[in-house]
Amino acid sequence: MSSRLYPIFQKGNPQMRVFLPNFWMKMVRPQIDNAPKNKVQFVVHPGMSQFDVKSYLEKIYEVPVVHVRTYIQEGRYRRVPQKGYIVKDDDYKVAFVTLPKDTTFEFPNIFPEEKAQEVENEEKHMDILKENFKKHQQRNRLRPDVPGWFL
Amino acid sequence: MLRKLCSSLELKLYCRSATTVYSHAPTSTQFYRNPNCFQHNQAVIRGFQTSPQRHDLMEFFDVKKNWGETTIRSGRSWKLDELRIKSNSDLHKLWFILLKEKNMLLTMEEECKRETELFPSPERLDKVEESMENLETVVRERNRAFNLLETGETGEQPGTEEENFLGLQEYRQYNEHTVPKQENKPFLIAKRDEPKSSLKEKLWFITRFRRKQLFKRRQELRCHQYEVVQLLQKFPDLDVGALKEKYPDVNVDKYIERFWKEQAQGNLKSNK
Repeated sequence: MSSRLYPIFQKGNPQMRVFLPNFWMKMVRPQIDNAPKNKVQFVVHPGMSQFDVKSYLEKIYEVPVVHVRTYIQEGRYRRVPQKGYIVKDDDYKVAFVTLPKDTTFEFPNIFPEEKAQEVENEEKHMDILKENFKKHQQRNRLRPDVPGWFL
Repeated sequence: MLRKLCSSLELKLYCRSATTVYSHAPTSTQFYRNPNCFQHNQAVIRGFQTSPQRHDLMEFFDVKKNWGETTIRSGRSWKLDELRIKSNSDLHKLWFILLKEKNMLLTMEEECKRETELFPSPERLDKVEESMENLETVVRERNRAFNLLETGETGEQPGTEEENFLGLQEYRQYNEHTVPKQENKPFLIAKRDEPKSSLKEKLWFITRFRRKQLFKRRQELRCHQYEVVQLLQKFPDLDVGALKEKYPDVNVDKYIERFWKEQAQGNLKSNK
């Protein structure tokens, strides 16, 4: 694995082996609302083939895979805000993986409402503190030499 | 002394356990040292711990308690020296742990982007990538040593420096091909269509290019000299060795001498 290039021919034609794969995969939320429950969508390393995706999931994550379909999504052409010139985002490869019939996978909601509520409460508390501090400053603006404990 | 050593070891191992050896990682082998081991006059007692295996698609997501957090604490990345003392099989296992962690972080990042939320502690991704880079350099080192011993060659991808159409030296790596050069049609077409230039044109470009580089170097030097003078005026008692190390292209002694001369003469600027 000195070089990332795999030799085209090796004496004896041994089986292809990869010891340190540098492929990455990231799961994305399915674009369609009522997608089949045993279908999962990934964005994968652009060099990965369908066989690579299948063996990657089966060997590393030990997840049984029935079918894989991939396509390359063209990056968006967009205008840079305030500059005006057009840039193109990178292309990326999308893989649809079908799991066995009986298995289901639902994309979880990683932002639970309780945590969001907690953060909101903290922010409210901070706002109150800020307001109080402002009031304190406003009250003492004409007597800068007087210490804060003196009311 | 021993206690000091022990505490430092514990600290190190605490840091490490928080970075890369994750509780949900499969076949993770984490070595921890027993803090009481020095009581028995033994250098090292190694405990062996395996975390529960979890082969599932949920491995693409973070642990449930980290969902919705604003910051997630993590340790540092693996250093080269730590990886050098590991066996090949350990490195192999660690590679897959890091790979899974990277996939998890990429998934979480993408989801956060979709929800227009902030991705908590994005430095984790950099740490994992740095560890992977370090691991690969260690493997490469070992391969090099093995190949040099066995075959006398490094085993790296060979290449040469060639002059391109601008007259600049360019490094090109050799690739394997199934057909020889003369029969490789795309290669021949590409070679035919590549831009060509005469020696005169190359010289025209090279002179201008070098002049530009020279001006750039001079400007940099001037900037450094200015910085040295400013630093001396601000901090007259600064460490000269460190200054020389930071600005190797500047004659620091000259500026120090000049500075103290000006001080002795009563320089207006500093006596204000």
